[in-house]
Amino acid sequence: MDYAFWTISGITVLGALLAVTLRNLVHCVLSLILFFLGIAAHYFLLRADFIGAVQILIYIGAVAVLILFAIMLTRNVTGEAGPQEVVGVKWWIGSLCAALTAGLISFAVRADSVAETLSPGPKATVAVADIGKGFVGNWIVPFEAMAVLLTAALIGAVVIALEEVRNRR
Amino acid sequence: MTIPLGHYLILAGIIFAIGLAGALTRKNAIIVLIAIELMFNAAILNLIAFWHYKQFAALTGQMFAIFAISIAAAESAIGLALVIAIYRHYKSVDVDDIKSLKG
Repeated sequence: MDYAFWTISGITVLGALLAVTLRNLVHCVLSLILFFLGIAAHYFLLRADFIGAVQILIYIGAVAVLILFAIMLTRNVTGEAGPQEVVGVKWWIGSLCAALTAGLISFAVRADSVAETLSPGPKATVAVADIGKGFVGNWIVPFEAMAVLLTAALIGAVVIALEEVRNRR
Repeated sequence: MTIPLGHYLILAGIIFAIGLAGALTRKNAIIVLIAIELMFNAAILNLIAFWHYKQFAALTGQMFAIFAISIAAAESAIGLALVIAIYRHYKSVDVDDIKSLKG
């Protein structure tokens, strides 16, 4: 269990670092897929099997492909980032803010003894059938709200992306 | 020996900080969206870690994670549609070029 945690954590952090630092956009998305796989492996390690499968299906199957499409639709003719800078002129301010955030979170977790004393709960994994029953039972209102939100997001995305075409006519 | 909860929280904090650094420093709007996805995943990892270690009520943590993942998917669809609309208008996805509202 220990080795699995450290190995998967290393892969995850490596994928995250590469996803925001590489110059080639397609390579960034490939690193992002590595990161998503690492997070899914963490979910399997935490015995949240269904969430791990959902992570792979939605993030790798949908979001990563969506980002690839956006890159292909917006890429310049040259394709590469070229000689111009990929980071802004004041990049060190953003990096400093991020480093301070990481330090603050680590300090807060270290200072709080509750996080260290919690032990894993009973090892019963949640059956997918229970999650399905929860959707149509206890969680029916947020489930319906989520359906409305996803429909609105779908229509909104189409309308936003089509706007300029309509104006040209 | 099992991994304490604090390890997962610090790992999520590191991922969140990497995403924050990417969102604040990169110039390409698509990379900014990727960085926002990193931050979303860090938050959802926290939800699942707390569910695993405490299991407040059998299903609640997983349900929250599923709803958060759905919202993240909707957000990325809208965000990429906006990026494409901006690209059509400005012929660029560089966030430093988009400053029409700048005083």
